[in-house]
Amino acid sequence: MKKRLLFWLCLILAGMQAMAQTPTFPTNGVQDERPGRVAFTNATIVTDAQTTLEGATLLIQGGLIEAVGKNVKIPTGTQVIDLKGKRIYPSFVEVYAAYGMPEVKREARMGRGTPQMESKKKGAYGWNQAVLPEVKAAEMFSGNAKEAAELRNIGFGSAVTHSQDGIVRGTSALVALLDAKDQEALLKSNVSAHYSYSKGSSTQDYPNSLMGSVALVRQTYYDAQWYKGLKGRTETNLSLEAFNQNQSLPQVFEVTDKLGVLRTAKIGKEFGVTYIIKGSGDEYQRLPEIKATGLSFILPVTYPTALDVEDPFDASVVSLSDMKHWEMAPANAGLLAKQSIPFSFTTSGLRSKADFMANVRKAIAAGLDEKAALAALTTVPAQLMKIEDMVGSLKPGMLANFLISSESVFSESNTLYENWVKGTRYIVTDMNASDFRGSYDLALGSRSNLKLNITGKADKPTYQIQVDTTKITPKVTRQGDLLTLSFKLNKAEKGENRISAYYDGKNIKGDGFDATGAPLTFLATYKSAPQADRARSDSSRKAAPYEMGKLIFPFAGYGSEEKAKAETILIKNATVWTNEKDGIVPNTDVLLQNGKIAKVGKSLSTPSGAKVIDGTGKHLTTGIFDEHSHIGLYSVNEGTQSVTSEVRMGDVVNSEDVNIYRQLAGGVTSSQLLHGSANCIGGQSAVIKLKWGETPDNLLIPEAQFIKFALGENVKQANWGDAARVRFPQTRMGVEQVMMDAFIRAKAYEKEWKEYNGSSKKASMVAPRRDLELDALVEILNKKRFITCHSYVQSEINMLMKVADSLGFTINTFTHILEGYKVADKMKKHGANGSTFSDWWAYKMEVKDAIPYNAAMLSKVGVNTAINSDDAEMARRLNQEAAKTVLYGGVSEEEAWKMVTLNPAKMMHLDNRLGSIKVGKDADVVLWNNNPLSVYAKPEKTIIEGAIYFDLEKDKVLRKEIDTERNRLIQKLLTAKASGAATQRPAMQRPRHFHCNTLGGLSEEEGHMRFFGQFNCDGSCGF
Amino acid sequence: MKKIVFTLLALSTMLKTAQAQNEAAASPQTAPIALTGGTIHVGTGEVIQNGTVVFDKGKITYVGSGTPTLPAGTQSISVAGKHVYPGLISPSNQLGLVEIASVRATNDQEEVGDYTPNVRALIAYNTDSEVIPTVRGNGILLTQATPVGGVVSGMSSVMQLDGWNWEDAALKKDDGVHVNWPGYFRRGYNFETGSFSIGKNDRREEQFRELDKLFSDAIAYAQTPAASPVNMKLEAMRGLLDGTKNLYVAADYGKEIIEAVRFAKAKGVKKVVIIGGEESLMAADFLKENNIPIIVNTTHRLPNRTDDDTDLPYKLPYLLSQKGLTVGLGYVGLNWRTRNLPFLAGTVGGHGMTAEEALKLVTLNNAKILGIDNVVGSLEKGKHATLIVSAGDILDMRTAKVEQAYIQGKSLNLDDKQKKLYRTFSSKYAK
Repeated sequence: MKKRLLFWLCLILAGMQAMAQTPTFPTNGVQDERPGRVAFTNATIVTDAQTTLEGATLLIQGGLIEAVGKNVKIPTGTQVIDLKGKRIYPSFVEVYAAYGMPEVKREARMGRGTPQMESKKKGAYGWNQAVLPEVKAAEMFSGNAKEAAELRNIGFGSAVTHSQDGIVRGTSALVALLDAKDQEALLKSNVSAHYSYSKGSSTQDYPNSLMGSVALVRQTYYDAQWYKGLKGRTETNLSLEAFNQNQSLPQVFEVTDKLGVLRTAKIGKEFGVTYIIKGSGDEYQRLPEIKATGLSFILPVTYPTALDVEDPFDASVVSLSDMKHWEMAPANAGLLAKQSIPFSFTTSGLRSKADFMANVRKAIAAGLDEKAALAALTTVPAQLMKIEDMVGSLKPGMLANFLISSESVFSESNTLYENWVKGTRYIVTDMNASDFRGSYDLALGSRSNLKLNITGKADKPTYQIQVDTTKITPKVTRQGDLLTLSFKLNKAEKGENRISAYYDGKNIKGDGFDATGAPLTFLATYKSAPQADRARSDSSRKAAPYEMGKLIFPFAGYGSEEKAKAETILIKNATVWTNEKDGIVPNTDVLLQNGKIAKVGKSLSTPSGAKVIDGTGKHLTTGIFDEHSHIGLYSVNEGTQSVTSEVRMGDVVNSEDVNIYRQLAGGVTSSQLLHGSANCIGGQSAVIKLKWGETPDNLLIPEAQFIKFALGENVKQANWGDAARVRFPQTRMGVEQVMMDAFIRAKAYEKEWKEYNGSSKKASMVAPRRDLELDALVEILNKKRFITCHSYVQSEINMLMKVADSLGFTINTFTHILEGYKVADKMKKHGANGSTFSDWWAYKMEVKDAIPYNAAMLSKVGVNTAINSDDAEMARRLNQEAAKTVLYGGVSEEEAWKMVTLNPAKMMHLDNRLGSIKVGKDADVVLWNNNPLSVYAKPEKTIIEGAIYFDLEKDKVLRKEIDTERNRLIQKLLTAKASGAATQRPAMQRPRHFHCNTLGGLSEEEGHMRFFGQFNCDGSCGF
Repeated sequence: MKKIVFTLLALSTMLKTAQAQNEAAASPQTAPIALTGGTIHVGTGEVIQNGTVVFDKGKITYVGSGTPTLPAGTQSISVAGKHVYPGLISPSNQLGLVEIASVRATNDQEEVGDYTPNVRALIAYNTDSEVIPTVRGNGILLTQATPVGGVVSGMSSVMQLDGWNWEDAALKKDDGVHVNWPGYFRRGYNFETGSFSIGKNDRREEQFRELDKLFSDAIAYAQTPAASPVNMKLEAMRGLLDGTKNLYVAADYGKEIIEAVRFAKAKGVKKVVIIGGEESLMAADFLKENNIPIIVNTTHRLPNRTDDDTDLPYKLPYLLSQKGLTVGLGYVGLNWRTRNLPFLAGTVGGHGMTAEEALKLVTLNNAKILGIDNVVGSLEKGKHATLIVSAGDILDMRTAKVEQAYIQGKSLNLDDKQKKLYRTFSSKYAK
């Protein structure tokens, strides 16, 4: 009875304490300051992930830890709580919360409405609505009792919270998860600075692509540097001011996938920032590279819901990578821990916070060490956020934020009793509740041969009455030591027996009425401890090791455990299409060594260790180079401004796109990944080799520096509907003006920098603002970057050449260039290359005069001509497209083949290493089963730099492996469903398809996919 | 004087315009023609080396090896070293209905309303389309002009790629009604992320109910031979029940295919054809059991799923043929691209099928499925002299140059707008 009183007292006390610590506020009543000194004795205290003290004492006062240890002297006037058999932990630290932040309101964005070019935010802030470094979570914070309780109930005591909106998000605040005044809960302002690639609620057009977001981040760093030098001389920009101030804080960058980690690490390197990455949980899929970044992580414990694969038709739409990720996601943290990658956990992204500990336990079951798990909840987050002197461990002077638990916090049978926050007690489960569990002899009125068994968890036991061999489960409600029971002893009874009873410390006694309304006494006499729980003995059994499939690169169908490696390969007796003076030579050997073509000749000797491939009856060519491609990209167009030369496709290369593999199967070895054609001056190209399995950076050919320009209907938004009548230009007249203006600006910019750099008073001058958009244009003027220009009609082709002539540079390539045949002479004179479709036309007005003889005619006039795809599907049969120049215009087979190999290599300025089978060039070759121009031809091997990336025989093995692995996972998913796991119906996500309908209405319901092909036009939507 | 200048100007403009027009429709055959000494691809899988084809009054009178006795006045043309094929047949497409896809005024393929069995594609079929000759030039001599959109799109007609107007060009008028089966999935497009997602079609039940009602009403309506007043929609459906029209059902997923065929059978539809069938392998045995033919959509597409065999679309017609189905091949839903139809078949030829079997996909099989194999689709005595002569293998772009073409014996002029532009600008550089 005493105990219970104490309990209630404590509760009241706790509440009072919380309300009494803001002395600047007026008091309604009498002064009520209390010492708040409490000692917790005889506990097992885990002071941090590394240290556990047995039989120790924790002494707290005024919300802080006074002492912790085995020989703590307890001063008089201290409330003492005996925690014998119980454990104390530092409470957890949530580092990626939006706790107490206002809800982010998003205005519905219409498909293609009137453009919004500038920020809607009023005041002396920056130009972009998604760059908000001035936002301070501390100023926006206001506690929320429900959310605080949610977090406390799973063990969190404090949270670093920030406004999760925008690309640059300002600073976070550390708050205690208290139900108290905000003044008391707010612990620290400006804890960390936050970034993401998502523009959030910004309604401004720019940026609308991932590479636009990256460019904006970069430009903001440069703008801030410039602003620092400006010292307010010409303008005040509160955003840039805040951005500079925020730089000394921990910098946290949120990404949405593993490649985002690599991208962000690169930006960090560029600006000397060591980011903390808020990851997405798939980091294990690129573990070595992620380890190499040296960065720390904040990891969610969100795992995919199991997919319902019962129906084989539905199951067919589920990808292998989705199923594998379902299986491996819980292992993510453990795999990172094994690589000693520092990380903290977050509840961020969980649909229900209550799942948090269960999911952490899953991570432990899948291989994560418990100590690492505890560190990820306590010390690591505190260290990452530089708040380790306040929270995360139990040391004198730190906040009295701690947990009281029955056993290890990671044990499934653990009960979390209390969560003390800043010295305020929050009870999760009453640890002083009596433990009724046991076997009792039950006397009920005149019947005395009954038994009462109370088993299960102490705080939530289960009750059972045994009548002879029949077991009855009574309805029981418990309030402290008071019990209300109702039950029928057998089915024949007409009504319920009702009893009100109490626990006297040993036995349970009570009175009530039976089914007939006659009085009934109840006496349960304690006999013995409860029989061991079966569930308990189950959980104490050693858990089976977590089984999962192999990691493959990339993490998708057709990925391999081992990445392809360069070998010494001798291809014997093939018909070799050299693309050199020798032409097409039969019965010839080619030796590949160290990634290069080492020898070409007859009857070459086999170097030791060489792999010999019989090329008899086969054709060996150099790999296909697709000059115009949009595969392997997260986004294609930053079409929000007419000039976006600052964006780089290299920032958004998706090395996991299966189209890379599909194109290898079509003999393609290199591609120029171009920006789309939605604006006059687009973004910088990523020129890649299709090294399937490697990371984005390893695909790049860094010396190829290109940029996309575009003309005609797309840039003037001719097919965008009536809302798109705002952005300049809307005619071909305006396109010329945009081009001229851009280069005039670039010239002035270059001059400004030259003057600054050459000045003797440089030190006292304000450095010009570095402008990434103009940097790229200056590179063009200086012939360090080259243009590939989307173009169709002769007037605009001629225009752009005139613009370039007047500024002293050359348009390197006109791509598509379907009316090139009309101005081939002018193109030749200017020195432009042409990269065209074989036979496309009639899909929009500006291609009504397109003819399939275009390539033949350009070539005949002397323009270096290529055939490109602009399409992931067509790219895998570019050999067929090249063959069409034989059909249309009578190009020789040798020259036709060059249109997809040597000629594009030339226009990409890469013919020194690509484009022909010549000693010393890259060993990028394809072995075909037939004349490569034939419709019946297919590659048997596609080799890049001496490594076999596609092999028809291995392809068969991979297909088999995909089937086997799919089936294994489907069976596992079925088992999961059968054992009660939540499941979701599969929905198919079709990867971005970068050709869209000329007619609009893409979102209209079709009920069917049959017209998919119709959308496969060249892209009047801007691709 | 001014007047004269004006008239001259007007005349020259007219001349120029005339130049850009298509060639005149071909004149009827006046004398028997014998194509001798060529490699004859009959279209049935048979190849005759050094063979001869003779045709008169628009019909084939002889196909075989060697040279028969030729009737007097026969124009004998040596095609030694060349190849003779039946004219290719391009099913379920919009050639002649769509001129320039992005220019709305030139589009006549889709009517308002989700249930419009009554609309007739041949009415909009524009024989003066500048696209048609470019398709014909690659050996496609027959096209099925097909309406699209909604659940019941309308009626198609089989057109010959020659004729002064649609009436002349039609080979089989209103050959069938086209239905887009209400799918389980619908495609959505997210403008913000630029990705397509395929989710549940929540209008499916409603669409299914309407479709069911349309067929039930059509059955009742058909019980009266001359209904009055005429209901044009139900009248259009009549032929499905008496077997004079095909029911073309566009469906891609196995489940939907099974469901669609069972629906049609239950409604008493005599002839059902599946169009598209991207995922039809899952329903192949069912189709075989029910003797349902399929027109597979283009092989030149990406596999639907990451894990699919990379060459699945290329070999799909072969795999379905192996299951014993009658398989046709088309460029469903497109116009100008249909000129690549032979190369779609050629690609199948590179992925399991023999070239002659692949040829059947776009000749005899398409003819059988469209119900026109009594007159076209193969080179056999009594059938239309609708055929082509090419320099080499028609399925391979390396050799596919079409040199002569005949529709019902009429010799076609194979010139087109693109060849004219080629000549015009070649002369610019020749100077």
